[in-house]
Amino acid sequence: MSAQPPLKSTLDTGAENGQSVEQPLRIDRSPQQVLEEALESFPADRIAISFSGAEDVVLIDMAVQLGFKPRVFCLDTGRLHPETYQFLDKIRRHYDLQLEVLSPDGEAVSELVREKGLFSFYEDGHNECCSVRKIAPLRSHLSNLDAWITGQREDQSPTRSDLPHDQVDKAFSSEANTLMKFNPLARWSSAQVWAYIRREGVPYNVLHDRGFVSIGCEPCTRAIGPGEHERAGRWWWEEATQKECGLHAQNVVPISE
Amino acid sequence: MATHITFVKKILSDGNPCAKCADVEARLVDGGYLARIDETLIADERDNESPGMVLAHRLEVERAPFFVVRTPREDSTDTGTEDGSDEETVYTVFFKFLREVLEAPTSKSAEAAEILRDNPELDLL
Repeated sequence: MSAQPPLKSTLDTGAENGQSVEQPLRIDRSPQQVLEEALESFPADRIAISFSGAEDVVLIDMAVQLGFKPRVFCLDTGRLHPETYQFLDKIRRHYDLQLEVLSPDGEAVSELVREKGLFSFYEDGHNECCSVRKIAPLRSHLSNLDAWITGQREDQSPTRSDLPHDQVDKAFSSEANTLMKFNPLARWSSAQVWAYIRREGVPYNVLHDRGFVSIGCEPCTRAIGPGEHERAGRWWWEEATQKECGLHAQNVVPISE
Repeated sequence: MATHITFVKKILSDGNPCAKCADVEARLVDGGYLARIDETLIADERDNESPGMVLAHRLEVERAPFFVVRTPREDSTDTGTEDGSDEETVYTVFFKFLREVLEAPTSKSAEAAEILRDNPELDLL
């Protein structure tokens, strides 16, 4: 069953490829307002929070404080830190959630490991491993939802600048199913997230106390130092370039002397 | 008249080939589909007048690689495109092009990999 999408704060430019290209109107709404609007706009079984096992736990806390008992899922890549697994279970018990733990397709993982071993990402990048262990199960799960909620923030990486509070998720929508994506924390900084965690006494992953800012799979995550961008804690052996698919016309107009 | 397929690949502003374009081309070769491509154009970011950039501008495409599938209208005998006598469909998602145009099998893993390449912010989930 599909619900009507909520009032949008974005303009859909109508591009038909797999990338979300909405142009945000930058209307300031609090994370709680975005979250409440999202959870009220869809049947409870058709919208879910994506939980990474890190500071995006604040979304669960906010939803519970707003009086919802949200569906929550997490992607178990099979390579998470033991501390993260313990944290996932702590959150399940703390909020009395039926946490949906998504696993990758066993045969696909076996094929990858058989062909390239357990650490192929150090040699040819993390895309293939993340695709098998995260994106494929995520895509499968989202095909049964009308909307999902993420903890993505603008300040997490350059590719997240102008991240809207809500958008049609073109990456995972299909002809049969238009998927909405909500990013309640889009405008919040890491500092604001942590202020909330401390103020509200929200449980958090103990890895954060050891210098881990962004937490993902164990082989691909490391602690960072003061002043380093959180992205530096993930896939640090890869160059930040080589990801750009946009067409950037050069400005060839000469500057007058 | 048969369908006409154009493949547009990019040269980066530093003169290097676009990695994804090279990957897509390699997959076309490996799959034996290159013969189905009627025309390959270069979108050179250093040259706004390069054929691929001109086509991208005309079709308002903002990413590369991409494919343009030109199909004649049933009531038309004209082979042109600029005058609107043919239908043009743009594909910026490779696996969608493979599946819908070349009718080639695609794997879930390959499709997932392309989704991640086109939406790099997903890797932090």
